[in-house]
Formats: sequence, structure tokens, C-alpha cells
Amino acid sequence: MRPIIRQITDKAFTFLTGTSVVLLTFVLLIVLGPMVWRGAKAVIFKDTVEFRKMQLDLYNRGNPASLKIQNTEAESFRKIVYETIDTFKHGIDTEELIDRTKQIYRQFGKELRYKGITGEEYQKIRSLARELRDKLQAAFESNDKKIIKENVDYVLQYRLYKDLADTAAAEFFTLAEDFLKSIENIDLNKRQQYAGSLEQVEEIVFRLLGPKPSEPLPALTMDRYGATRWDLAQKLLDKLLWSEQWIQKEAGQPLVKIRVSRAEEFAGTKLEPLFSYVQNNLDKMLLPGPRFYWQYFIDDSTPGHYFGGVGPEILGTLLLTLLAMLFVFPLGVISAAYLVECASDNIAVRIIRMCINTLAGVPSIVFGLFGLAFFVLFFIPLFGGPSKPCILASSLTLAVLTLPVMIRASEEAIRSVPQSYKEASLGLGASRFRTFVKVTLPVALPGILTGVILSLSRVAGETAPILFTGAVALGPLPKSLFDPTRTLSYGSYDIAVGDRLAMMVPHNQYGMVVTLVFLILCLNTIAIVLRARVFRKLRGN
Amino acid sequence: MQKAKDNVPISALEKKTNTDQIKSVVSLSQKANSAIKQKELDCKCAVIKAENFSFYYGSTVGVKDISMEIYPCSVTAIIGPSGCGKSTFLRSINRINDLISNTLVRGKLLVNGYNVYDKNTNLVNLRQQVGMVFQKANPFPKSIFDNVAYGPKLQGVKNRSQLQQIVEDSLKAAALWDEVKDDLKKSALAFSGGQQQRLCIARALATRPNVILMDEPCSALDPIATGKIEDLIDKLQNDYTIVIVTHNMQQAARVSERTAFFCLGELIEYDRTVKIFRNPSKKQTEDYVTGRFG
Repeated sequence: MRPIIRQITDKAFTFLTGTSVVLLTFVLLIVLGPMVWRGAKAVIFKDTVEFRKMQLDLYNRGNPASLKIQNTEAESFRKIVYETIDTFKHGIDTEELIDRTKQIYRQFGKELRYKGITGEEYQKIRSLARELRDKLQAAFESNDKKIIKENVDYVLQYRLYKDLADTAAAEFFTLAEDFLKSIENIDLNKRQQYAGSLEQVEEIVFRLLGPKPSEPLPALTMDRYGATRWDLAQKLLDKLLWSEQWIQKEAGQPLVKIRVSRAEEFAGTKLEPLFSYVQNNLDKMLLPGPRFYWQYFIDDSTPGHYFGGVGPEILGTLLLTLLAMLFVFPLGVISAAYLVECASDNIAVRIIRMCINTLAGVPSIVFGLFGLAFFVLFFIPLFGGPSKPCILASSLTLAVLTLPVMIRASEEAIRSVPQSYKEASLGLGASRFRTFVKVTLPVALPGILTGVILSLSRVAGETAPILFTGAVALGPLPKSLFDPTRTLSYGSYDIAVGDRLAMMVPHNQYGMVVTLVFLILCLNTIAIVLRARVFRKLRGN
Repeated sequence: MQKAKDNVPISALEKKTNTDQIKSVVSLSQKANSAIKQKELDCKCAVIKAENFSFYYGSTVGVKDISMEIYPCSVTAIIGPSGCGKSTFLRSINRINDLISNTLVRGKLLVNGYNVYDKNTNLVNLRQQVGMVFQKANPFPKSIFDNVAYGPKLQGVKNRSQLQQIVEDSLKAAALWDEVKDDLKKSALAFSGGQQQRLCIARALATRPNVILMDEPCSALDPIATGKIEDLIDKLQNDYTIVIVTHNMQQAARVSERTAFFCLGELIEYDRTVKIFRNPSKKQTEDYVTGRFG
């Protein structure tokens, strides 16, 4: 080859390899960068007063005295929101008013009997009250302002009637007057539409600010607190200010989503000022502040990961991984030792080797089903254990899954130990077993540790094998190896496919994934440091 | 183990009293002095004796029909072109060839009067009696101390001070003590090739063998290190029976008393070194030692 061509090809080769490395780094950054960024939000974020309340109640963290001050401050701003909604609701939600009239009527009847009024007089007053009740109901149910006016006026003419004054029936008149006032600015034909939209507004306000202080505490933990994170609050605010509607612009065209300002929707009503008020005063209602929530890594979580951290998940992942390593390490090394040291190169050994290589490529879900069929249903019950998914079954399944990787790595490591070491040891009179344990194994250890690193990463991240054999999305901390456990991999899978609650807190999913990545990184670092130490010791510097 | 040791005609341990026998290996003529002849008379009984010994790798011949006697407390060199079976023969003596599968043995190979290829041979005892030093220095990737103590530990020596004594004695016998006495904890791989090879010799000595097999021990070393090893071999032959395979004919001439010439798996000639190099009886030998052999 001519020198110039040789130079060019050499340069091209260098360039090609360099570019591939740069590309690889770039791709890694593209994949990992956003994930880490989003995952970090699970730990570093702006919290709200609701978060502080939750931390105090559930984990006993924070200062109760200062929290009380903050709470009062926030509540003073929230009060206006609740009041505005309540006022508006009376004009819309007439069912409540109808129920109230019925109640008043019944109460009035009791009152009459209590006073000892009977006979004809009782019948007279009672029929009048019934008439008033029916008129009011007619007014509440009507959409026509004229009819309402007529009916209400009819009721109000009895305002000074002596039999009704200062009794329970007097409330009929206050109801009628309030109703007249509240419908002043409302287009009654839109009432149905308002009712639907108001329900949404109420729901969003509930998610944003938590339950009303006057109402009893909800049974579910997640309903007891409003938006605990400022980014969640912003999202809810957006939902509050804008409603999404599907409309058809032209016939035959598909529906299009448009955003409609709720302030416009409620234009002219008593609810209209609510939106700008919430928008302007949200920070005063929630008091956001920066937070470094490192307890994310140790906290237990409420069902669905709505609050709290991933402590049990980390614990479960570590437990499963290390237990699987405990099983696979001796098994893999012994199998590899057999293949290298003892087995002669015959057809049976070749078949075994081929099987191991094939096993390495079997999809992990197959191992999951195998684990269910073998370990959960057969193997563990055989020794008197419970026949249910548990940590032991999971880690055994994971061990089987990663066994081929371990065997292959160990085989290579043992094979690469110089024959001269073995000869030297045998030449000194050592048995083959002793030679293996004392000479071959220590020298092969760095290579075997490489196998451990490969298996470790695979095991810690696997979801399918533990799906049926011992992973759960919810549940208490495991008390023994015969309990199922939560894991990071299964947790993030569950959030992605199953848990509707958790979809509302997406930081959790990213948090879990990033935690998993860093956990594997940590485990690998430990193994790599260990390998380096062993290697250094062997090399003698 | 003990039983085997009792059968050694001249125990290496007893012979240690004779270490003050000083010999210089300056020239071949000096080798042929009467002292050596006297010694041969002393040790008529052969330590290693091959009787029609053949070794096959599958259907390939390793060595064929070898009959020779190797005498105690002397250096026997085996020379010959590559692939002539000299290493095969050497490695058969302590059965390190067993590592290779699919081999076939014919005839007898006696060490201390026992056939090593007998079914009842205790390999552990055999290999502790017949130490081996390999072509490439192969210390374990452990400390100097652990390397030398490896053999004694196998023999069941657990006492720390006893081990220390053995390590010191072995390293002194291998002329390495002064160089490494302060670095016993250091990894053996941190030392030079020549030092590593002497460490391997020390390691072989630590099991207190009768015979030391050396498979081209100097082929990977520079002349200075080679010189040191040769001095060591010369010193060791007072106590040990040494069989050395070498490509280097000057070396064979320098260190050995007797030389065997192998060619194509057969023993061509086996006689005193002086005779082989000065006045060989076979034409083939003459061609080889004079360099005319292809």
C-alpha cells in the first residue's frame, strides 16, 4: 500500500473510533440527562404548607408551633375562596335548597305538634306551609325568571303572617330572598352547565387546598392534604384557570381540543373573581419554600406513592439483589470450575455449554413463569415453606436468570489463569481441589468479580422474573424471607401501568428510576473497587 | 509420605552435612577429577530409573523406549533438538504430564525404587519428593513468604515459627535470602525474572525433595541471572539430585556431570558430560554438539 493511502486509512480509523465514543457519550447524556433532572425533583423541590403538615402528621417532622402560624396565615387567604364558592353554589345547586325546604316543612310540623296545636287549626297552618313549600320548590326548579319571581313573591306575601313568624317556617322567607339575590346575575339556562363546571372547580380546589377546615378529616390519607408540591400546585392552578373542551369545528371533522378560560365561562357571575384571586394569591395560600427532601430514600410511602419516599423499595431491591448474588456466586463458580477443570471435551459437555449459552438469551419473563411454577409452587413448599410469592423465591429466580452470565464470566476467568500456576501448585504436591481453591480461584477472582458486576446490574433492574415470584406494589415491610417485597424496578413499572394515583405525582416514577440507576451504580462501584483491590494485591503494588 | 521418605537411599536431610564440599565449575577438565569418580562409587544406586519407558500423546510419540539411570547428588542434563521428548521425559518423572488428557504410558519409570506410573502411587508424596522448576518463572501471585510456605503448609506444617524457619532455610539455600529478607510480605511478582526463578527453586526446596527437575530454567533469563542460577545448581547438587533440560549446550557442559542426548523421542546417548561433548560414541550426538545437526 502506498504510504499516503496508509496514512489516510489510519487517520480515518482514528476518527471513526473517536466519533463513536463521542456519539455514545452523547446518547448516554440524552438518555440519562433528562431522567436524572426529573428524578432529582423527587428530592429537591419547592414544597408547600400542605407538605409540611403532611410531614408533621405522618413522619413527625417539623416544628408544630411555626406550622400553626403558617396554617392560620394560609387559611385567612383560603377563606375567601370557600366563601365565594359557597355563595355561587346556592344559585346553582337548587337541589340542596329543595331538600332544605322539605326539612323546614317537616321541622315546622313537629314544632306545631310540640306547641299543642291540633285539629282544624293545625290542618290550616299545615296546608299553608305545604303551599309555600311547593311554590318555593317550583321557583327553585324553574329556569324562567318570570315564574320564579311570581312564585317567590307569592311566598313573600306571607312574610308577616303571625302563625309563621318566629317559627321554623320563617326560614322559607330568608331562603326565598337569598335565592332571588343569587340568581340576579345568572343566566338560568346555563345553570346545568355551571353545575358541571362548578363540580370540577370544587374538585380542583379540594386537590389544591385540601379539605375545608370545617369539614371532618377524610378517611384516605391522600385526601387529607392539598397540593404538597409547588409544581403540582401550578399544574392544578392551570387546570383551574383553563378548562379543556372538545368541540367540532365543522361537520365531519374530528373533534378538537380547545382551552377555555373558566373566568370567561363564569363571566358576570359571583364566581368570576375567584379565578384571578386564586391566581394572584396562590403563593399566600400555600406558602411555597425550597426543600431538600433527602428522607425520600428512607421514607415509607402512602398507598400509591402519593406521599413519602422509596425506602422500602430500596431495601427490597438490595435484599433481592444481594440474596441472588449469594446464591449465584458459589453456584456459578462451581459450575465454571467443573467446566474448565474437570469436564473433558466430550459431546455431553458441549451440550451443557450450549444450553448455558442459550439460557443467557432466554427472555426474563420466561424465567418469571419458571420461578412461579418451580420455586413458588413446588420447591419452597417441598421444604415446608409457604406456597406464595416471596423474597426467597424471587431471589432464587433471579439467581437462575443470571446464572449463565456468571458461569460464562467465571469460566473465562478460570480459563485465563496461567497453566503455569496450576503446574507449580500441583508440582508441589497440592491436590487439584487445593490448587483450585488456593491458587486458581484467587487469581481468577477479578474476572469472576466482573461476572458479579454484570449479574448485579441485570438482577437489580429486572422486573419480569419477580413479577409473579415476590414483588408487590403495595404492602408492609417484609418480616422474613417468606414475605413479598416492594422493589424499585417493579414500583416504577407499577406506576407506569397500574397506579392512577401515582400518575398525579410523576416525579415519583422518575425518582424511582434514577434511584435504581444510582443504586446499581453504587453496587457496581463497590464491586469495581473490590476488584481493583484484589487485582492490586495480586500484582503486588 | 514418611514411608516413602524412609525408602530414600540417601536422604537429602542427612546429606546436608556435606554442604562444605566446594566445587568450581570453571572447565570441563576439572569436572573429570577423581572426587567425582569417588562420588559415583558412593552412590551407585540410581534415584531415577527408566526401563523401556514410552510416553504417547494419543497416537503421537512423546518418548519411546527410554532406559536410563539417574544418579543421586549429581546434575544430569538432558539435551536435544526441540520436540525430541526431553521435556516429556522430565515431566513424566513427577507425573505433571497427567494434566494432559488422552496419554498412554508403556514401560517402567522408577523413582526411589517405586514405579511412578503404578496405580497405587500417591501423587502428593511423589511430587513432594520430586520438586520441579519450570521454564518460565511462575511464582504464585502471593507474598514471598506465602510462596515458599505453600509446600510446607500442604505437608501440614502449621506452626508459624517452624514455617518461618523453613522459609528462611529455603531462601538461603536458593541464595535469595539476602535480597528479599526485608520484603517477605511483598508480592513475588514485584521481583525480577531471575529472582522469581530463584524463588521458584526455593519454593521447590521447601518441601524437602530428593530430586529437583528443571525444565529449561534459564531460557527466559539474561546471562547474569543465568549465571546465578547455575551457581545455585552447582551448590544444590551436593544435597539434591538434579535433572535439567536445556537447549543451551554450554550450560549443559558447565553444570552437569552426566548428559543424555535425546532425538525424536529416543535416547541416543547417555554418558558422562565430558565424554558426550569431547568424544561422543554416536555420530548423531557428535553432529548435534558440534552444531552440524539441523
